[in-house]
Amino acid sequence: MAQSFPEDVLEHVFSFLNYDKDRNAVSLVCKSWYEIERLCRRRIFIGNCYAVSPEIVIRRFPDVRAVELKGKPHFADFNLVPEGWGGYVYPWIVSLARAYPWLEEIKLKRMVVTDESLELISKSFKNFKVLVLLSCEGFTTDGLASIAANCRNLRELDLGESEVEDLSGHWLSHFPDNCTSLVSLNISCLGSEVSFCALERLVARCPNLKTLRLNRAVPLEKLPNLLCRAPQLVELGTGVYSAEIQSDIFSNLAEAFLGCKQLKGLSGFWDVVPAYLPAMYSVCSRITSLNLSYATAQNPELVHFVSQCSNLQRLWVLDYIEDAGLEALAASCKDLHELRVFPSDPFDAEANVSLTEQGLVAVSEGCPKLQSVLYFCRQMSNAALVAIARSRPNMIRFRLCIIEPRAPDYLTLEPLDTGFGAIVENCKELRRLSMSGLLTDRVFEYIGTHAKKLEMLSIAFAGDSDLGLHHVLSGCESLRKLEIRDCPFGDKALLANATKLETMRSLWMSSCSVSFGACKLLGQKMPRLNVEVINERGPPDSGPESCPVEKLYVYRTIAGPRVDMPGFVWTMDEQVSSSLSRVTERRGD
Amino acid sequence: MELQLRLALSSNSDEGFDLNNRNQEQQVEDCRLMKKKRCFDETFGEIENVQVPQTLPLLDHIDLCVPGYGRNECDEEDGVVGWPPINSWRKRVCHQAHHDNRRGCITTNYVTVKNGGGGGGSGGGRSKSMHIKVKMEGVGIARKVDLSRHHSYQTLTDTLSAMFGDEKVQAYKLTYQDKEGDWLLAGDMPWGTFINSVQRLKLLRNGY
Repeated sequence: MAQSFPEDVLEHVFSFLNYDKDRNAVSLVCKSWYEIERLCRRRIFIGNCYAVSPEIVIRRFPDVRAVELKGKPHFADFNLVPEGWGGYVYPWIVSLARAYPWLEEIKLKRMVVTDESLELISKSFKNFKVLVLLSCEGFTTDGLASIAANCRNLRELDLGESEVEDLSGHWLSHFPDNCTSLVSLNISCLGSEVSFCALERLVARCPNLKTLRLNRAVPLEKLPNLLCRAPQLVELGTGVYSAEIQSDIFSNLAEAFLGCKQLKGLSGFWDVVPAYLPAMYSVCSRITSLNLSYATAQNPELVHFVSQCSNLQRLWVLDYIEDAGLEALAASCKDLHELRVFPSDPFDAEANVSLTEQGLVAVSEGCPKLQSVLYFCRQMSNAALVAIARSRPNMIRFRLCIIEPRAPDYLTLEPLDTGFGAIVENCKELRRLSMSGLLTDRVFEYIGTHAKKLEMLSIAFAGDSDLGLHHVLSGCESLRKLEIRDCPFGDKALLANATKLETMRSLWMSSCSVSFGACKLLGQKMPRLNVEVINERGPPDSGPESCPVEKLYVYRTIAGPRVDMPGFVWTMDEQVSSSLSRVTERRGD
Repeated sequence: MELQLRLALSSNSDEGFDLNNRNQEQQVEDCRLMKKKRCFDETFGEIENVQVPQTLPLLDHIDLCVPGYGRNECDEEDGVVGWPPINSWRKRVCHQAHHDNRRGCITTNYVTVKNGGGGGGSGGGRSKSMHIKVKMEGVGIARKVDLSRHHSYQTLTDTLSAMFGDEKVQAYKLTYQDKEGDWLLAGDMPWGTFINSVQRLKLLRNGY
């Protein structure tokens, strides 16, 4: 076939393609495009670290500068994945260190990261710039010291909500005096105090610092010292937002905030003393992102503060905001895109605050741009859900958690099928849905029929039979991730839709009714799936084949069964060698 | 693979399922799940008639009438694992908030500010809500009542009657636990003193 353009022209054209989807599409056009594209792809996203091996990645893409990896399933956030399950990044780092000396960025989510891995990163990549560790674990502040000491051009260090063993705050002092490249620093998850002097000096010498998220141990009185040295900050996470009520602390704080003309995002606010909230009033009108989900402030101080932020696009808050606060929010923040309301007292059957479905209805009706919702509450009705669906057909992410499992419509005592049905029918762009409350198979029929763009679905304590699961697997064309717990779904729907699972990233089912026999069958018949049974009480074959497995995790892979499983994880693959000999490469996720 | 379509709502168990093979824990879990379904339709009074195995985690979680300070740190572990779905960072905040609330540590101090910052002092009118646990002897599930909405023993008794049933409340006596941890008979103290020291309420059968 005659080539119309020289390679470097095509390469230049491809350099404008940033989305993996586009690059994947381009690489399918013809062999030469595939070759050109793979040589110039610089960013790799791997949604499941076990879906592919480092060797396969490196073989296809020889010159990568940024790697993003995700490990454990999402339900690991809620303690449903036992300790030691996997998600170790070390083998990846070893391979990446060998293959990509010019690697600049590593972003990891829900992975086990050791100090060894961090040290290897710090020493292997001469131009290393970005390290993001979200919900990771396994490392200590010693590992951070290596990163600080050795990464000369570090721009971003984001520890997300990782579990870090805090040996000492001294690690921060390992940033050399000539390190001036920091743009983003997030240490909010660290427990112990870092050396404040070292922090102050670091902030002062990094003129491009845009994001600074402090940990709780940084006292409020010292915050002005940092703000004065970084008036260019765009995002700030405060430390503890509490101090003795003293007017000089207040005035210092207010003055420091006054100097921060670029500030758009605020977070932190541990132990907030409401009297100090007004110190931030000068920045409120510019704030677009506000995370008050650790702030135990109540109304009226809370809603008063939030209402000042008329340009707010994103609000994360505790349910202390109550319905009244959300009504005020709906009236004052017309630019709101995203709302997350977390429970202040989630383990109590009774409400401690006056937050009901009304708050969410008010925000849905009042905020025309609202597209992303995460809402914890104790009562819901079909009428409210229908109202929300009708007001907000532009909804993209809808996650509702009614705290009591299987709670019905509190007005009619009926299941919430109609309500969620309205959501999927009206919100045609819906990509993510989490449901709760009393739900029958009918809601899954609605989902299968209407939720054509749905990519991620989370189900708990719902459904009556396999028909429910069948509706979802057979109807949701865009489904990538499905996570299910405590639902009466068994073998039939799973086995009937086995090929569907190859089009998805993963399926999680725990405390359901899938039998060991069905898992074995699935593993045998589908070599491109890893079918992993998690049974902590004992080997799944110690009982009859009809016995249900505790937890099941199924994911597509071209790397074959994994070799790092702990004792309580069994893989159902029997034909190991034949799955590895497959030549067809999987398109990127 | 033929899919059998069902018209009726089925119970939790799958029909191809050999219940005999389920171990003790599974059977307990079945009981728990089945009980959850009944709770919506039935009044609280009926729970005491059901034989409940001692290890039912969900009821243990709710029934917390233990003398002494209320909730311990590990409470949520007694409930359903991983539910509600909040991660460990948020759980820590919830503990903090709960402890602060119970000890009344939510600061209500205000500082007057020369440049007229609006937040100080504006919240004087509305009193803070005061949710107190109420347990009725023999009833599995405790309730909560907001004492800030009441100004006399009469209104409190009326609310409790609405919650637990009029005949029951008349037949029981109202006791409360004070700040020192002692259980006393409610009604002896003036309402104001009572409000300041009450930590939790319990309705005891007469005759004890």
